[in-house]
Order: sequence, then C-alpha cells, then structure tokens
Amino acid sequence: MSESTDWSGTTDRSGTTDTTDRFGTLDRVSTSEILTSAAKRVQRPAAEVRYADELARLRAADDGERPPGWALSLRAARRFILGDDAAGISRKFVGDPSLIDRALVSLATSRGLMLVGEPGTAKSLLSELLAAAVSGDSTLTIQGGAATTEDQIKYSWNYALLVAEGPSNRSLVPAPLLRGMAEGRVVRFEEITRCPLEVQDCLLSPLSDRVLAVPELSGADALVFAREGFNVIATANTRDRGVNEMSAALKRRFNFETVFPIPDFETELGLVEQEATHLLQGSGIALPPNRDVLEVLVTAFRELRDGRTERGDAMERLSSVMSTAEAVSVAHAVGLRGWFLRGDAGSASDIVECLAGTAAKDNAEDLARLRTYLEQHVGRRKGAQWQEFYGARHLLPG
Amino acid sequence: MLPKPLNGLNPLNPMQPAAALEPPATPEMLTIVGVRHHSPACAKLVREAIDRLQPAHVLIEGPADVNPRLGEFLLGHELPIAVFTSARRGLTSQASWSPFCDYSPEWIALREGTRSGAQVRFIDLPAWHPAFATMANRYADAERRYTQAVDGLCRTLGTDNSDTLWDHLAEIDAGDIPAAELSARLNTYFDLIRSAVDGIGEPASGSAAEPSAEPTTETTTEPTTDEVREAYMARWIAAALRDTPDRPVLVVCGGFHRPALLRRVAAFSYREMEDAYWPEIPAPEPDVTAVSYLVPYSFRRLDAFVGYQSGMPSPAYYQRLWELGPRGAASALTGEVVDRLRARNQPVSTADLIAARVTGEGLASVRGHRHPARADLLDGLVSALVGEALDRPLPWTGRGGLTVGTHPAVVEMVAALSGDRTGRLHPDTPLPPLVHDAEAELERHGLDQPQTATLDLTAHVRRDASRLLHRLRVLRVPGYERLSGPDPSVEDSTFTEQWRIAVDPDRLAALIEAGGHGPTVELAARAVLGERVLTGGGLDSAARALFDAVLCGIEDLSGQVLSGLAAAVAADGDVEALGTVLTAVLGLWRHDRLLAAEQSATLGAVVVAAVDRLLWLLELVQTGGGPAPAEPRRIAAVRAVRDAIRYAAAKLGLDAVRATAVMARIAGNAAAPPDLRGAAFGFGWSLGTPPPDAERTIRAAGGAAVLGDWLSGLFALAREQCLEEGPGEEPSQGPDQGPEQLSALAVVDALVAAMTDHDLLVALPALRQAFGYFPPRERETIAGRIARRHGFDDSGRALLRDRIEDPLALARGRELDSHVQAVLEREGLLW
Repeated sequence: MSESTDWSGTTDRSGTTDTTDRFGTLDRVSTSEILTSAAKRVQRPAAEVRYADELARLRAADDGERPPGWALSLRAARRFILGDDAAGISRKFVGDPSLIDRALVSLATSRGLMLVGEPGTAKSLLSELLAAAVSGDSTLTIQGGAATTEDQIKYSWNYALLVAEGPSNRSLVPAPLLRGMAEGRVVRFEEITRCPLEVQDCLLSPLSDRVLAVPELSGADALVFAREGFNVIATANTRDRGVNEMSAALKRRFNFETVFPIPDFETELGLVEQEATHLLQGSGIALPPNRDVLEVLVTAFRELRDGRTERGDAMERLSSVMSTAEAVSVAHAVGLRGWFLRGDAGSASDIVECLAGTAAKDNAEDLARLRTYLEQHVGRRKGAQWQEFYGARHLLPG
Repeated sequence: MLPKPLNGLNPLNPMQPAAALEPPATPEMLTIVGVRHHSPACAKLVREAIDRLQPAHVLIEGPADVNPRLGEFLLGHELPIAVFTSARRGLTSQASWSPFCDYSPEWIALREGTRSGAQVRFIDLPAWHPAFATMANRYADAERRYTQAVDGLCRTLGTDNSDTLWDHLAEIDAGDIPAAELSARLNTYFDLIRSAVDGIGEPASGSAAEPSAEPTTETTTEPTTDEVREAYMARWIAAALRDTPDRPVLVVCGGFHRPALLRRVAAFSYREMEDAYWPEIPAPEPDVTAVSYLVPYSFRRLDAFVGYQSGMPSPAYYQRLWELGPRGAASALTGEVVDRLRARNQPVSTADLIAARVTGEGLASVRGHRHPARADLLDGLVSALVGEALDRPLPWTGRGGLTVGTHPAVVEMVAALSGDRTGRLHPDTPLPPLVHDAEAELERHGLDQPQTATLDLTAHVRRDASRLLHRLRVLRVPGYERLSGPDPSVEDSTFTEQWRIAVDPDRLAALIEAGGHGPTVELAARAVLGERVLTGGGLDSAARALFDAVLCGIEDLSGQVLSGLAAAVAADGDVEALGTVLTAVLGLWRHDRLLAAEQSATLGAVVVAAVDRLLWLLELVQTGGGPAPAEPRRIAAVRAVRDAIRYAAAKLGLDAVRATAVMARIAGNAAAPPDLRGAAFGFGWSLGTPPPDAERTIRAAGGAAVLGDWLSGLFALAREQCLEEGPGEEPSQGPDQGPEQLSALAVVDALVAAMTDHDLLVALPALRQAFGYFPPRERETIAGRIARRHGFDDSGRALLRDRIEDPLALARGRELDSHVQAVLEREGLLW
C-alpha cells in the first residue's frame, strides 16, 4: 500500500483547475483532504490513493499521446492496470489483456463502457482502476439501486439557499454526473440495472448529445456541456436482473464488455492467496494462509461454480454466487477461525463451516448440493487436506 | 510507430542471451528457415530465401516416404490439399494428415524450390512412424505442446494467447520490414521457446557448449518424439551438405526444431559428414500396411477453432492476408462479417460500422500495430456490434475453440474468418482403388447422380444397391442420406428404403480416406465395422455396429470380431439393455428374409453370448426380498432368454437344462425381486415343465404388497398356462391338469377375496399392471370366468366395461367403509 501524503502536490491535474470555480470549490478540496489526511485510517482508500505513487511515475514517464482530457496515455493506462514488472508497476487485474485494451479504447470513443458479468468477477474494481487511470479520480460514483433518483445522478438543491436566493449556481448541489461532465472526468455508475428504467434513461442525452440541461437556471447556465475526458463506466451483473432490462436506446450508447471468471486455476489460486494474506494481515494475523488448504478451497469453488469436476464428471452447480471474491472471503474466514480459535493457519474442516454460511446462504437446495458434492466427489480425492475436508462434512447444518 | 516486440523480448531472456544459442560452427552453406506452419509471413521469408540463395537442395519438413511421388504435388491442384496417410495393423487403423494451403511455407518451398531448379525433398519421418502416434496433424504447432513457455511470453508482451502474439510479432509487420529483420525476430522467438522448453526438460546448453559430443542425454533418457524426428532430419541435412559442398542448402522446418537442427548439424564431426549419405526411408513393420494419398482438404478442417491439433486459426483471413496484405484483408473481413450478419437479419448500421472501424484502429494503435491485426478487427467488431452480455468468452482470446453458448454474432465472425474454401485435386492425381471401386459400383446401380432413390428391398438388385449405400454411410462418406427404411433393432414391416444422394464437396476426400481401410467398399466397410465392434464403448455401440453390418449385408465378420462382440456382450452388466439387444437379434436370426440375416452365424454368436450373460446376471439381481416394483424391461429380458431357448436351443447348442435350473433357483430365492421370481417361475412352466404345485407356489408368492408384481412376471412368461382351467371349476377342455389342482386364476381369485380392504388398496395398482399382460379378449374371458365363480351369470364384458369406473376409487371407498366400521366398533357404538 503506497503512501499518499503528497497526493495534492504530485497530481498535476491539468485541465481540471479552471472548472472548480463553477461547482467544485468545496468538494474538490474536501475530497482530497479527506483522502490525504485519513488515508491510513480509511478501511479502503480509493485506487488513486492506494496507487498514487505508481500513477505519478507512469505520468512522469508517459510519452504516449493522451486522448483529450485524459490523465494518462492509453498505453500507460494499460500498464497501470495490467502491470509492468520492469517499471515496478503491480498487476492489479487478472484477466485477458485484450479486455483492458477494448475497455480503454471504448472510453476514448464517444460511447460509454458497460462492464457486465457474474457477480464477484471484479467489475467494480476494474471500473475503479479505469477511472483512476483515465481521470486520476475514481470517486465520482453513482451507486445504482431500487431507490436511486435522478437527483442523485444529476443534481439537487440546497433548499435553504433555494428558498432564500432562488435557483442559482450557488444553490445548486451537483451530483456525480453533472460534475463529471463539467470537469471532464469519468463517472462510474455501479449496478446500473438495479435502477428503474426511467432513471437509467436520464443518461441518454448526456451520452449522446454530451449535454445536460438544468432548466431551473437561465442563460448560459441552463446547459452544461461535457468537457473532453467525460465518459461513463457502468457495471451490471448478469445474475440479478439482466441487461435486458435496459432500454435499447441506452444500450446503443454503450460498448459492452463481459468480464468472465478467471479461467486458469493457478492464477485464481495465486490471487486468492495474495488477497487472503492481505486481509489476514489487516485483521492482525501474521500467519499466512496454508497453501494446501487454499488449493482445496479454490478447487471446490471452481467445481461448484462450473458444475464439473477436475476429472470432468458432471455435477450439480450451485445457484449461489461462487466467485473469486467469495473464495477470498471464505479464505479470510478460515484464517480467522484457525488463528483465533486454535492459533493455527486454518484447516480444511474450517472450510466446510464457512462454506455453509458464505456459499449456501439460506438456500436449502444449495446446501443439499454441497452435501452431495462432499460425499460423492470429495471422498474419492487423495491427500490429507481433501480427506479432512471430507471428514468434516457432518459440520454442514441440517 | 515501431512496434515493441524486440525491445520486449530481450529482458525476457535473462538465463540465456540469444547469441549463445547459435551453434558455434554452422556450415556456411546451410540456411534453415524456421517457420510457423501455415503462416503467410513465413511463406514470404521462404520465397525470399529461395530467390536470394538459388539453393541446390530444398529440404522440407514433411513425410519422406512420399519423395518419389513429389510430382503429384505439382499437377495443378486447387489448394488446400493434404497428404493423407493411413496405417493399418490388423483391424485397427490410424490416420493422419499433412495439410498444405496456398500460403503454407512448405508449399511455397516445394513450388518455388522446384521452379528454381533445386532438388526438393521431404526429410521428416513418415506419418505412420511411432513418433507420430498421437499426432493426427503433422503441421500442428509444436509449441502448443509446451504452453507454459509460450504463456510466459504472452504475459510479458500483454497478449491473450500465442495466436495474437504471433500476429503481433510476425504477420502484421511482414510486408513492411526487411526479410532479414523479420527472420531475426522470429528466430529469437523460436529460440526463446525452445530454450525454455529444453530448460524444463533437460539441461539444454550442454551439447551446445561441447560441440564435439553427440547429444549425450539421449543415452540416459528416452528421446522425445521431437528428438527422434530431429535426429532423422539432421541426417538428411548432412547428406545434402555433403552432396553439394559448395552450393547453398535451404531447410524449411518448424521454427521450434530450428535451434535443435542447427545444434545437431554443427555437432556432426568431419568424419560423419564425409560418410553422410541420403538416409534410408524406414519401412513399416511387416504387419502394418501404410498408404499415402493426396486428398482435397478444406479451410474448415484447417481452422484451429473447429478442429483440434491444428496450427494457425482463421485460414480465410490469412488467405486474404497473403493475397491482399493487411489493409485489404481487414476490409474484406469486415465486409464478410457484415454480409453474414445481414443475411441472418441482424441489423448492422452504418454507425456501428464506423464504431467498429474506429475501435479496431484504436486497438491497433494501443497494441502497437501498424495495421489492424486479426484480433484488433474482431475486438472492434464485437465492441460495436454485440450489445449484450456474453455467455462464453470470445474464442480468439482463449486457447480453446468455439463452445456451446457462444454468442451467434461471434459465431458468424469466426465462420467468416474460417471460410468455406475446399480444395480440388487435379484429375490426373492417383487415387486409391477404393475410389474407383465406389464409382464403378455406384454407376452400375445408377446411383452416381444426385437423386432421391426408392429401393424395393425384396428385389435382389435393389437390395445390393441398398447395401452399397449403407456401406458408404458406414464409411462416413458424406452425400448419402437414408431418409427411411427398415430398422433391424425393432420389428417393423417396411420393405422399401429411401435415400437422398447429393453432391458434397467433402465426398472425394472422405472416399480417399476410406481407402485407408481397404481396397474395395465392401472390405473397407467390413474393416470399419469390425473396428467399431472391437473399440466401441460397450454393448450399445457394438449392437449398433452389428445392425449396421446386417444392413450392409456383411455376413461373415471375422472370428476376431465375433469374439470381440461376444466379449462386449459378456462385459455388459445391464440386464435391461442386454434383453433389448437379445430380443432384436433373436428376431432377426429367426425371421429376417428381407436383409438376409436369417440364421446368420454372426447373430447366432450374439444370441449365445447374450443368453449366457443374462442367465448369470439375472441370478445376481437381488433386492433383499421386500416389495419392489415390477420392471417390464427386466421381465422382457427373461422372456427373451425363454424365446432363445424355445426357438434356438437346438441350432445354436444352448443348454436348456441349465437355463431351467437357473430359473428354478431364482424362483425359489426369497431375496430376488418379486417380478423376477414370478417370471422365473413362469419360465419353466412355459417351456413345458409343469410345476409340481403351482397353487402352493402362488400362495407363497407373497403378501398384498408383492403379489401383483410377482404376477406381472408370471403372466409375462406363462400367460397361456395361467388361462388353462383347473378341474375345480367347470368341466375343462384343457389337456392335462392334475386332478387335484385349481387353476392359477382361481388361486389368485381366492387370494384377493381373502384380502382386507386395506390390503386390496395396496395390492390393486400392481395387480392391474399384471393383468395388463393379457390382451383384451383374454381379459374378457377371465372376467367372465371370475363372475361365474362368484355366482353372477353375467358376461365378462359387462363386468369389464360398465360396472367399475375406477377400481382404485372403489377400493378406497371400501377401505374407508371398513375403517369407519372399525372405529364404530372400537368405540362401542355398534352392536
């Protein structure tokens, strides 16, 4: 985790300073101040804070052409996400390099970027990294939900000032979309399909005409034109409500990119190990997770997700989400149990107990599938950890 | 803008600087062009090398055994074509292909080498050699077998897989940079992969450091197939160098082999070079028949997305790249994709096309390409044209092929890149005898033109025609489709067969390849069927092969196949499936005149094996004695055994005594399921061994929960015997009952009458199922007889049709009645 004390000093965000006069004076200062002063105590600092050092170095060494309004060139942004061992840039996203290429090129064109995929495939992380690389700022975020309103997307009013002074730039409270357009930055829209259709559609004119009307204001203030660098990254998961819930008009304005679960076992294992170690350190546990236990865990997750064992036997797949993110959280829980209950690194039998809560949730059918899996497939495997995993099958509730 | 690959490559190679891989003493007349098979960029390099060097010898990685027939290659075929090799040992055969297309480096070497007057030779081992045992395609990428080494390189250069990596390194720049630079770049690439692979497999540079020593590792460890082939190729190179010491020798081989060949040639001592004569071509073992022929090939088969074990994907794209260059190929590809999508009524707007173009160019520039490469174009098209979530990853980002569930637009894109070009052989190309045999036979039967033919199988001539078509079908020659006709595995009464004969571009290739199985259609079909019986997965496929043999009129399958078939039957543990097969085979063996399978020895052997096996399996079926539902297919298996004993015991030498004994044991085994016990009991009775005490046996069959299932078995086998009337009723016309016996039906009637209302409710469903084995007329007879027994002077028909709407409802009502009665009595309310 990189230090971020000199965030405001190292970021020379050319092209954004002159926009702050209109809406942003207050929050621009506050955002960065909050980020700098509290970075250490914050549970999860934003990507541009965590990787401030790498961003600064990339920017310094960046000789590629930058699309207008971008903080980095396309190639530097690519290196920021995919990593570059020689330059000391860490790899932050595991997946096809071509996915990153396509995402960046989409952002540089006049279409928005829509990341879709199963839950837990790191779509939000990817959108955060892309925003941090392109705009140097990933905090302009709209969290979609059933109760999201246009106010939270475009703008709302400071009602005391509105009553006292009438509509004016002073009484206007800009929401992420308005700010992103005015400042030429990337706006993230998380879980867009969880919003009602009518609310989603307020993105239409900002995406196609690149203009947002503020009918309450008059004159030049009534129209906010998007500056260079503005674009939208939306995410949607295919499990809850598909992208079919989006209007065709809005779909047309996005390039779709599907993010898939990690195809390769070794890569996924490595990622789970790395993230679990990190989380355990954060929980004050010095002991790294046991690699053999993790292997069992990741194998089980992959098999339950794909509905096929390593040998190729078909089996029932779980309906719950069995993503890498869930695997990390189970690995974390296993480590916690081992350390605080017994003082070891966690064992395969801990997996069983954690699986019941994390994976099967309260779904009785999934619980039955999990039990079948343990009895039919796990029992046959060789290896101490597998046998322990099998031996603990009675720990499943019910 | 210069791409980065070379700068990227160097830091990759910390363990071994590229220069150290160059052997110290490469003969100066030797040039080895290391290629990727089916790469247009490499084809250009080969053409350039031949023009520049004017070599005396051009040596090509390819099957050395076809060297005497190289003239056949240059007759003027339309590519793609392939050398097809089939090696047959006994009944098993192994097929392999060495494909060539217009832009194959090997093809260019062959064509341009011949044109420049060089001696052209193939120098690799023949395709039937054990070194190729697991390879169906000679020109599959060698490095694909070593994915680890390539994966590391892909990660460093930020590409998805080896195909995009290759485009990045070779294809996109091929037209823009000098040949020397491109070839240095590719050699670095192949050297890196080879050294990484050697580093994993064995200490690599040992032999390079001491050039005088033959690679000594071979004596200690088993040489890999690559090493065996490389040793052989190196001998050809040495011989060529010795033959013309002062003229250039050009070798065209897979880039993966180039470093090893250089090492090996450099390691030859002066003496060895002096003694290097043209290597002999190995001969196959005496019991192996190997044949090689040119066959038409197709882009579909070349494409890695569809087949497995191939080389470069997307042949149609690379064909265009070879002809038109990267820009031309890009626009042709886009046009093709749009045409295909529009033909499927998918809207593709101009705005989409602009977006696709812009995205493609953008991707090319991010990835450092001068021109949009294959994946840039495809990525751009997908971004612009697919507006929804994908269920499967894009095929060109992974290593696998198309999978089920791939987005239809993506499927069209892959198809557009794959192309549908099919090669055509020059008319003078020698063909295997089977092709001539097939053509002559088809002409004789008037089946050589596309048509829908209706064949009356009762006429001998037409039956022969049917057999010919079935043989072609069995040989998987496309274009011969059977629309309808008799099915030997079920009883039916069709006497005609309909076939649709169509023109198929793959027909000739399939015929030539079928020639690997035998010199005539009949012999080849027999070999294929034999192979299917022997290697097939269990009884099911063996049975299907057997029925195909019947349809093909292949009567005398060899003894080996017969024993294999018997083994398949004997290894099967599925009573039901075995019963089905036995029923069908027995039916054919007894009655079939149409297909002339009556009394066939092949079918007889199957009957014998199946009866043996079933007798064994049936005795093993045990459920522990409790109630178990009747299984009609299991009962049918017992009946099939009975029929075999009844009709075929004498001719086939089946042991009826043993069968009866087995069945008697099953009938008396309390642990066997009730239906099986009943069937086993009926088995002996129906074969004419009247049971000593049928009445007692039926009474002992079991309680209400079991009786119906037991009777199902009994009625299925001994229906007629059960219908016979005992003397206890009316004066009988039946021949010989023991005077003291009641008929089976009377016993059942007595049992049912004695049941409580609750028992009846339990027993009724199974009883109804059991009586389902009687045809309606017999049921009527039974009903009448029962009615008379109970003093009704009624016709059975009325009893069956009118009185009882739903017997189960009736039984349920009666049970309720008696329950109410019991409750009333218990509470003392009834007196």
